[in-house]
Amino acid sequence: MTRGWLPCGDYHQEYAKDHGWWQTNVIKGKMILLLLIVSVGFPLSLGEYWLGVANMIGYTALGALGVQLLIGYAGLITLGHAAFIAVGAYTSTLLILRFPWPQFIISWGLGYPISIIIAAIVAGLWSVLFGLPSARVKGFYLILTTMAAQFITVDFILTQYISRIGGRGQAFSLPPGTIKIGPWLIDSDLKVYFLMITLLTLTVMFMCNLLRTRVGRAWVAIRDNDIAAETLGINIVWYKLLNFFVAGFIGGIAGAFWVANLAALSPEHFPWSWSLWLVGVILIGGAGIDGAIFGSIFMVMVMEILQIIAIPLSEYWPIVFVNFAYIKDMAFGLAICAFLIYEPRGLSYRWWQVKNYFNLWPFSY
Amino acid sequence: MELFFMTLTTGIMVGGIYALVALGWVLIYKCSGVLNLAMGELTLFGAYVTIYFYAMGVPFVVSILFTLVIGIILGILVERIFLDKLIGEPILAVIMVTVGLSFFFKGLIEFIWGTDTRVFTPAIFSLKPFTVGFLKISTVYFWSFVLAIVLFLVFVAFFKYTRWGLSMQATADDETAALSLGVSARFVYAASWAIAFMAAGVGGALLGNINGVNISIGYLGLLVLPAVVLGGLNSVPGAVVGGITIGVLQNFAGTYLDAFFPGGVKEIFPFAFMAVFLLFMPYGFWGWVKIERM
Repeated sequence: MTRGWLPCGDYHQEYAKDHGWWQTNVIKGKMILLLLIVSVGFPLSLGEYWLGVANMIGYTALGALGVQLLIGYAGLITLGHAAFIAVGAYTSTLLILRFPWPQFIISWGLGYPISIIIAAIVAGLWSVLFGLPSARVKGFYLILTTMAAQFITVDFILTQYISRIGGRGQAFSLPPGTIKIGPWLIDSDLKVYFLMITLLTLTVMFMCNLLRTRVGRAWVAIRDNDIAAETLGINIVWYKLLNFFVAGFIGGIAGAFWVANLAALSPEHFPWSWSLWLVGVILIGGAGIDGAIFGSIFMVMVMEILQIIAIPLSEYWPIVFVNFAYIKDMAFGLAICAFLIYEPRGLSYRWWQVKNYFNLWPFSY
Repeated sequence: MELFFMTLTTGIMVGGIYALVALGWVLIYKCSGVLNLAMGELTLFGAYVTIYFYAMGVPFVVSILFTLVIGIILGILVERIFLDKLIGEPILAVIMVTVGLSFFFKGLIEFIWGTDTRVFTPAIFSLKPFTVGFLKISTVYFWSFVLAIVLFLVFVAFFKYTRWGLSMQATADDETAALSLGVSARFVYAASWAIAFMAAGVGGALLGNINGVNISIGYLGLLVLPAVVLGGLNSVPGAVVGGITIGVLQNFAGTYLDAFFPGGVKEIFPFAFMAVFLLFMPYGFWGWVKIERM
C-alpha cells in the first residue's frame, strides 16, 4: 500500500519499503512534477542561450556523478576523471568518423547510440586499468595514480597520437549530419537538451538502483572502513575495480554526450583542471546523487552570473572581460575553500535540512 | 657516451631545483600533515614575482630576496586564512583546499601577468656553456644548481641549529609532546608554509631562468609529487634523492625515449614512472610504512 505521505514519527516496518523508490505518493508526485518541468517546462520557457547553459550543467552533472561514485560511495579519491571522459569522447568520435559501419546502421541512425555504449565500455575498461593500483594503495597515493592517468591519457596519448589520426593536427570536428539518433538529427541546442535529459535521467536511475543493491552497499562498506569490509567477506579489490569500471562507464557517457554538444573535440577540452573542477563540484554539492547535481547547477550558474556581472563592468575595465577565464578560476578556487571551511557538508545537506524542517513541522523537537 | 653524461649532469642539475621545491612539500607534510597540491602554483608565483622585480631593474639576487620576503608573508597568510581551520579534517578536504588555492593563485597570476612567456632580460647567466673535461655544462643550469643547493643547506642548517627549526622538528616528530613542552604548533604550521613558499618561490625563479617564465612552470612544480613519492613522503633526504632522480629520469626519457615515443614523453615520464613505482613500493624509499588496524 502506498501512503499519501509519511507523517513525522511514522516509520517503515520493512527494509524493502525503507529503500523503496516511491515511498509515498507525495514523493512520486514530486518526481513526476520534476520530470515534467525539466522535459516540458524548460524547453518551452528557456531560450537557446539558457538551454546551452542547461546542457553544460547536464554535462558537468554526468561527469560529477562518476566522480561521486568513486569519491562519495567508495572513498576512492580521483583527480583524473577528465581522462576517462576524454576516452569516452574520443572513442565515440572515432567510431562515428572512422568505423566502417554497415549501411543499414547509418540509414537507421544507430551509429551514434551504439558509439555511446561502446565509448562507455571502453572508458570503463580504461578506468579499471588505472584503478588497478587501488588494490595496493589508497588515499594520497591513489590520488597520485589517478593524476598519472590524467597526464598519460590526455597530455600524452590523446594529444600526441590519437589527435593525429587523419592527419588534421589537433582537433576533430564532426561534420553536420553525423550525429543522428534514429530519425532525429542532433543539430540544435534543444535536441541536445533532450538527449542530455534522457542520458542524465537514465544514469541517475541506474545509479540509484545500483546503490541499493549488494554492490552499492559493499562500496559504502569499503568507504567507511575497508579493513572491516574485508573481514565481512567483501572482496575489496573486485569491488573497487567494479567501482572504477562503473565510474568510467558514466564518464564515457558524459564524453559521448560532449561530442554531441559541441560537435568538435580537442585534448584541451579535458585538462587536469577539469578533473579538479569535477571534484570541486561534488564537494560543493555534498553527499549523494543529488549532491552531484546540486553542485553542477551551483557551479555553472555561479559562472554564468559572474559573466553577466562582468559584461557591464568590462565597459570600464576591459581587462575584466579579456581575462574572464582567470576570474572564473579564482572564483572557483575561492568557492571550494569557502565551502570546505564553512559548509563542509555541502549543498545537499542544506537541502536535507530544509526537507527535514517541513517533514517535522510543526513539531520539530 | 658523451650524450649519456651530458644528460646525466643536466638531469642532476635540474633535479637540484626539484629537490629544493620538494623540501618545501615534505616540510608541510611533516609538520602539519597537509598534502599540498598547490606546489606548482607556488613555484609559478616565485617565478613571476622574481621576474617582475627584475624587469623593474632590481638586481637578480635582490629580487630573489624580495621573493623570499613576499613568500614568507603569503605563506603565513595562506596558513592563517585557509589551512588553520582544517587541522584534523579528512584528507580529501585538506587536499581540495590546496587545490582550491592552486586555482585561485593560478587565476590571480594569469590575471595580473597574462599568459605570454617572459624571459629575464638582460639574461642573468651567460648563454655560453663552459667545459669541464669533455662535459659541456650550461651556465644557467650550473648556477641554478649551486643556488638551489646553497639554499637547501641553509634550510637544513636552520632545522638543525636554530631554536625555531628545532621546534619544527619536534612538532613533526610528536605534536602532543611538542605542545606540552611549550612549542606553539600554530607558529610551526605558519613557519612551514612560509618556508615552503620560499623554497618553491626560489625554485620557480630558477626554473624560469632556464626556459622562460610561463604557466608551464606550474607543471614543473607538480613534478615534486613524483619526487616525494620516490623518496617517501616524510623524509627530507628522500626529497633530495627523489628530486634528483626525477630530474635525471626526465632528461633520460627526453634523450633516449623520444625516438620511440615522439612527443611529450619528457613531460609525462616522471608520472608514468611514479604510477608503476607505486604498485611496488607505495611508501617510497624512506617513507614510514603505515600499519593499519581496525
